[in-house]
Amino acid sequence: MYAYDAYDHALVKSRVSEFRDQVERRVKGELTEEEFRPLRLMNGLYLQLHAYMLRVAVPYGTMSADQMRRLAHVARKYDKGYGHFTTRQNIQYNWPKLSETPDILDELAEVEMHAIQTSGNCIRNVTTDQFAGATADEVADPRPYAELLRQWSTFHPEFSFLPRKFKFAITGAATDRAAVKWHDIGLIVKKNEAGEIGFEVIVGGGMGRTPVIGKTIREFLPEADFLSYQEAILRVYNEHGRRDNKYKARIKILVEATGIDEFRRQVEEEWQRIKHIPIDVPAEEVARINAFFTPPPLPVLDDNVPSIDDLASKNFVFASWLKNNTNPHKVPGHVNVTISLKPHGGIPGDATDAQMDLVAALADEYSQSEIRVSHEQNLILPHVAKKDLPAIWTDLDEAGLGTANVGLLTDMIACPGLDYCALANARSIPIAQAITKRFDDMKRLQDIGPLKVKMSGCINSCGHHHAGHIGILGVDRKGEESYQLLLGGSGAEDASKAAILGPGFDEHAIVDALEKVVAVYLGEREEGEEFLATYRRIGQQVFKEAVYDAA
Amino acid sequence: MAKKLKGPQMILANYLDDGRVVFFTEDGGWSPIPTDATYADDEGADALLARANQSTKENLIVGAELIGATITDGRPYPSHIKHVMQAKGPSVRTDLGYQVSTDWEAR
Repeated sequence: MYAYDAYDHALVKSRVSEFRDQVERRVKGELTEEEFRPLRLMNGLYLQLHAYMLRVAVPYGTMSADQMRRLAHVARKYDKGYGHFTTRQNIQYNWPKLSETPDILDELAEVEMHAIQTSGNCIRNVTTDQFAGATADEVADPRPYAELLRQWSTFHPEFSFLPRKFKFAITGAATDRAAVKWHDIGLIVKKNEAGEIGFEVIVGGGMGRTPVIGKTIREFLPEADFLSYQEAILRVYNEHGRRDNKYKARIKILVEATGIDEFRRQVEEEWQRIKHIPIDVPAEEVARINAFFTPPPLPVLDDNVPSIDDLASKNFVFASWLKNNTNPHKVPGHVNVTISLKPHGGIPGDATDAQMDLVAALADEYSQSEIRVSHEQNLILPHVAKKDLPAIWTDLDEAGLGTANVGLLTDMIACPGLDYCALANARSIPIAQAITKRFDDMKRLQDIGPLKVKMSGCINSCGHHHAGHIGILGVDRKGEESYQLLLGGSGAEDASKAAILGPGFDEHAIVDALEKVVAVYLGEREEGEEFLATYRRIGQQVFKEAVYDAA
Repeated sequence: MAKKLKGPQMILANYLDDGRVVFFTEDGGWSPIPTDATYADDEGADALLARANQSTKENLIVGAELIGATITDGRPYPSHIKHVMQAKGPSVRTDLGYQVSTDWEAR
């Protein structure tokens, strides 16, 4: 993991003391809310429906056990004993007091965490594959590049007031678990024929009210040019992105309006102009950062562990957990364990302080003290020896963290919705709870197979409904909550936009409608065919007829 | 700019320090219980907001706004679901909301 140097520490500490001063001036009335609002937002502090909300960055979703323990401590001491993990791999606290937020940030700074650039029209937390550096299917660990992006973009004076917020995602694997095509800039680490590292650069993706799948602007950007090329893209966007209308201010709108070929030409022209400036970091600095991400020294172990097979043969729940919640590690005899934060009937992404402490303890004992957060709102122990799985599962299960549903229908993404969020039009969490209760049968879930359900409580799409195999969008219909069903989206390497099926439903009927969609799939699927493949083969109409004609 | 409201209106704000949702009362104070609040009709709304904003000047509250109200037995209650949510706290954590929130399912 990256460890702060003296500059990082000084930077974060000085930011906290600056914010402490701003908060004191606000409380005394020396700053008005109009003056203070942009300052608090730059420090990740929102005012939501019921209270302030503090969004703390988990850079590229990687943290240590000590950091997780500190997050638990903050939840316990300053909040109401829980936190919410988000689709940007961050954590949100729903109840902090304004006057206490500088203390929270001080405590976080001690463990090299902060809330900088978790809001505002700047470059936000860079997200990546939750299995980065630990998965069997990657070309290279994307996190050193994510760290370079973090350092380059932190307090970048030119990019602190962009036309709108800006989100990067990077993956090093062919299987895209980071939704790179749905980001302002998506990066895929690749190797060319000479074995050199480079990046496919995808630009202009995004969700929100205008969903757009990003377009490749460069097939292979050499590693040495990594930052200067991003800078060129940002400069073109900063100059030409619209500032007159916030709904048309994201880079996706600019790329669509300009056309990818002309946009590429402009970026290339800008890049040639700035390339000679020393933006790209010297090889020694790249090596220094890379060294922080050296894989842990795991022993090569036998992939066959009879004790696990034995337990799985006797215990269906453990067998399901083994199948769904573990992923092959690059070192034989090891796996990545995904801890589901989607208990059936629970709140997606929420974890209590005690649960966070337990995950930290398990990371210390079994996973090299390392933890990840996924954009699908789960936690990951990345480096686990297979022989330790029964002990881990037992501890997780006792703490309500043993749900064996990763990748299945009930592993839903859901935004906080109208239960917390000032932007929302409808509640998300109760719908997720109703759906996960309806499908609370592991045999049925296993039979349905991989299926991504994603739900947002408004058009801003924090819940990624455009990229759901089944998406749900909550809207305000004449003062009532109404829910639209969308089908056929994907956030993976085969990215696609989900299409609205038809008129919306109330909070009960949406669950019935989703169940009808699943029934159509089960009736129509061919041997071994997953939901998305069936949908793409048979099209929307069959689903539409089943959902609406039978109603 | 927000659409001009019609009909009975009340004032909702957040306390500056803890963000707690409160409603403006006749005596110039604030209550977490919406039925404690005062309200006005179209003509009186702007004057009500001006009175409430005295607390903004005193750094007690933030974001005071006029919201639509439904009047039952002479007492106001927020009419839009967003403001109902604010009055009650999160429907999924009724143990946590500041407000009296025992009757979420009943409404």
